[in-house]
Amino acid sequence: MMKSHRKYLAGAGALALLLAAAAADAAPPAGRLLAAQCAQCHGTNGQAVGGMEKLAGESESEIYGELIKMKANIKPNEIMHRQAAGYTDAQIRLMARYYATGGKTTATGTPTPSSNTGDSRRRKSHDD
Amino acid sequence: MFSHNRRKLLQASGVLLAAGAFPLSLRAQLAAPRVVVIGGGFAGATLAKYVRMWNPKIQVTLIEPNPTHVSCILSNLVMTGAMAMTDITIRYDNLRTKYGVTIVADRAIGIDPVNRKVSTQNGTVIPYDKLVLAPGIDFDAIPGLDPAVVPHAWQAGPQTLALKGLVQSVPAGGTFLMSIPKAPYRCPPGPYERACLVADTLLRNRRAGKVIVLDANTDVVAEPHTFHTAFQTTYASVIEYHPSTTVDSVDWANKTINTNWGPIRVDAANIIPGQRAGKVVASAGLLGRDPATRWASVNPLNYESTLVPNVHVIGDSQGTGQPKSGHMANSEAKVCADALIRYFAGEAPDPAPMTNSACYSPITAKTASWLTVVFGYDAATGLMKPVPNTLAEAPSPSSEHYKDMFGWAKNLFADSFS
Repeated sequence: MMKSHRKYLAGAGALALLLAAAAADAAPPAGRLLAAQCAQCHGTNGQAVGGMEKLAGESESEIYGELIKMKANIKPNEIMHRQAAGYTDAQIRLMARYYATGGKTTATGTPTPSSNTGDSRRRKSHDD
Repeated sequence: MFSHNRRKLLQASGVLLAAGAFPLSLRAQLAAPRVVVIGGGFAGATLAKYVRMWNPKIQVTLIEPNPTHVSCILSNLVMTGAMAMTDITIRYDNLRTKYGVTIVADRAIGIDPVNRKVSTQNGTVIPYDKLVLAPGIDFDAIPGLDPAVVPHAWQAGPQTLALKGLVQSVPAGGTFLMSIPKAPYRCPPGPYERACLVADTLLRNRRAGKVIVLDANTDVVAEPHTFHTAFQTTYASVIEYHPSTTVDSVDWANKTINTNWGPIRVDAANIIPGQRAGKVVASAGLLGRDPATRWASVNPLNYESTLVPNVHVIGDSQGTGQPKSGHMANSEAKVCADALIRYFAGEAPDPAPMTNSACYSPITAKTASWLTVVFGYDAATGLMKPVPNTLAEAPSPSSEHYKDMFGWAKNLFADSFS
């Protein structure tokens, strides 16, 4: 009786672990979905092909600064100015940070230190 | 202490087991979650790629009968001869090899939403935890119209080549007629772009007679400034634009198109019929009982059907009011992919998703215009709404936009399929 009880507890524990693992695994980094909306024109993960500006590897301040400037002064012949106007400053900050860190942002939007290797699997999937 | 902990654990396991019934099946918690996608256009391909790229623990199966996707985007340039079919034909290899998507080359014919299974033409039964429908569009029937004889070319492939042949067949001084269906239809600026390029081709070949454009809408649906200008100046000698005009029937034996204003005799015709969600959406019961319903009602936070749980609809078949285009389909697919990943982790969807559209239309053989808009989720109405100041068309067509068009398309193709 006691034995089967323990088994049950172990099973429940394993289930909880599995769920926790699945959840941790899947928690999307902040800004990922927003940043993905640039990829139609600027390439998957900001790796542009064929003549468009790439975003991968640009600094946070550069991407943020450019987009803020664009939406503050919309020029009618610039399609990107209209796109920039679609997002709040906070959203632009998230996207800029996401591209600047190669997707290594935590769920709350804080970039993880580059020395942190605990997240290599996720990093790899972004480099694909 | 021990007993207290044990009770807590038991309670926790009870909660977990109860949670297993809703929203996640126990199976989905323990084994790899299974996403099945029907349709390998821009929507379905992007969904399959992004789910796997963002969470390779989720199994993704894409059911698509065609061995390649032929893009409607840029297909009017195949019609003019500026591009080849191979330029707009995209393979599924990268989805399989780079992202590990399972491709089933078959046609989905039945959906069992209770037991969560899809059956295919070849008799395969594919179980799912989440089903995503991305079947594109289906057409209204018009009496006397046979698309094999009078092409719509609103799905690219053999229809594109049929249209190309049709434009080449117009005799010098002949009449080419095209019709635009009531909105919403796939690619709002597309028909007007086509009218311009047909006129441009005929002018350049010195065969220009008339290009009659019948529009079921009361005015130009997209880029009104660009296309009114093109029709009234660039192509004033060729294009005749007739708003509020519908095609009631076709009598092709006499090369006659019957409209609400009367019959028109022509040399060549490109009739684009009215559109609705792909057949599988209707057969899955996602359109409800009202036969007037054309598009699937979905929640724009995750694109789940409001009628049938665990079935999601993205791309042209969805009925959120967002425009139907390859770029938008890609955009919606990412929101859906993110929501599915969160769902399997027991999380709610992003409460404030954004989508966007950007597209380029060739206006002549050397110039293009663009159209753009950004959508944000409006919690008050539960709809995606254009963000103020983001809906705009290019002030005028230019060669620079023409060049950018290929950069846009190249990235969009790659982001969706590779």
